[in-house]
Amino acid sequence: MKKLLTAIFAMASTTCALAQETTTSPLEISGSVDTYFKYDFAKNPLNAKTSFVTDHNSVSLGMIDIALKKKTGKASFVGELSFGPRGQSQSIPDAAAGGSSFNIQNLYVNYEFTNEFSMTAGYMGTFIGYEVISPVGNFNYSTSYLFTNGPFQNAGIKATYKFSDKVSLMAGLFNDWNVYSASRGVSAIGGQLMVAPVEGWTAYINALLGAGFGGYGTIVDLTTAYQITEKFKLGLNAANYDIKDSAVPGSYAGAALYPQYAVLDAVTLGLRGEYFKFKAAGAVPATAFTAVTLTANIKSGGLTFIPEVRLDHNSDKPFFKEGGAAAPNGGQFSLAAVYAF
Amino acid sequence: MKYLLFIIVATFSIQLSAQQKQFSKDDNGKFIYYKVVDSQRVSKDTLLQRAKAFVNVAYKKSMVEESVTDSSVLAKGTIVIDKTILVAGHPSGEVSYNFVFEARNGKYRFWLTDMLFIPYQRDRYGNFVPTTKIGVPLERTPGKLNAGAWKDILNSTYLKVEKFGDDFKKYLATSRVEKAKKKVETISTKQW
Repeated sequence: MKKLLTAIFAMASTTCALAQETTTSPLEISGSVDTYFKYDFAKNPLNAKTSFVTDHNSVSLGMIDIALKKKTGKASFVGELSFGPRGQSQSIPDAAAGGSSFNIQNLYVNYEFTNEFSMTAGYMGTFIGYEVISPVGNFNYSTSYLFTNGPFQNAGIKATYKFSDKVSLMAGLFNDWNVYSASRGVSAIGGQLMVAPVEGWTAYINALLGAGFGGYGTIVDLTTAYQITEKFKLGLNAANYDIKDSAVPGSYAGAALYPQYAVLDAVTLGLRGEYFKFKAAGAVPATAFTAVTLTANIKSGGLTFIPEVRLDHNSDKPFFKEGGAAAPNGGQFSLAAVYAF
Repeated sequence: MKYLLFIIVATFSIQLSAQQKQFSKDDNGKFIYYKVVDSQRVSKDTLLQRAKAFVNVAYKKSMVEESVTDSSVLAKGTIVIDKTILVAGHPSGEVSYNFVFEARNGKYRFWLTDMLFIPYQRDRYGNFVPTTKIGVPLERTPGKLNAGAWKDILNSTYLKVEKFGDDFKKYLATSRVEKAKKKVETISTKQW
């Protein structure tokens, strides 16, 4: 006990001393923990066609996520690891085979050459799309088809130039999607234009060309959110992905709308309406999903309760009824608890 | 065991100290941090110059000058609020404020008011960024669910504003010219 306390005091003293002598910022530690219960109306876990929230009638685990960040002068790093199904086997890639290891969410270094220009290298959350792996970054607990079928993360090197608070441009070279090391070399180029036309409205126009899911392809994406009033926020995500070899399935197009309204200080209601279509490829016909998700966020300090009802539809009947027969509709209720620290 | 006792006493002292400090309210019912400072040795013009330098040089990263007269400085600024766990933590939000400085011969006063809180959230790259552009007035009484968290925000804001006030008073009491002339002491090891 004494040794532990002495070590803590020594660490605290060292950190304080360093803080006085250098421009080093304190080490930032943050993260989250999440767990959920889901009930599929047809009692079939295979009706979940998007990422995470897979189990039926089970109190199941999301992940524990731990992030470290430190900045010294103009240089900084972020290291973020997650453990648990959402951060292991359900994220891509698993750090070791078998779904029992961990997932690196972010692992990069950044250098700010000037206040306007910075460069970043490493493995980062993708710049494509509205939703992310971490439940803290999403309003809805279940995820969209656009998220599930797009990139989760990109390893690469990127440069960002900030023209003003209202306009910035990023360009970079990347590996193929969701890999720690490139299987086809540094084979993709990507860019992001950020514009903030009015106070509270931010739009990202993204493009990624090169190695990705299904071979080489091009994804173009619009992600935008507008805090219209203190209580009302509207988000939109639209994307189109074309695989170069038109015979390979996986090309898609879709859009999702995210209206959210704060009914109380601690309670916000949100809807996600999505249309998503896999394009025809060779002999595989096109197929389209529509999904509506009604979600509430109830916050108490660092804890957020997320009750959610989700209804999916596809006329090609990819869903299942209780007896196992094919069905055009799927539905589920889930209740998640997410704690952010 | 001694260490444990020390930690308990220190923790309670810090908590009691934090609980005792809170913002006063102005005529409009808004929180205000208001100080009148006696400054017989420094002229009104010098005080004004130093106040402008404080806004535009010392705190230029977090303050923007709004207007200046021959006896006042108005500015806007932000203070980042931290969530600390022992020696490590992360930003949990920012508080924007209006800053007013007025000088007379022999004394000056300053205050911070119109404080609005904007919570931070971790983005996809692990950085803490504002969740919205619209701030919540610090005077707002939160619901029961978030009363504890709001109290922490108020305490943390008060401590940061108090430090800001101390920095400002020190800055106005110090001559920049004299400070610039003060050289770093050189130690020679050739003779001893």
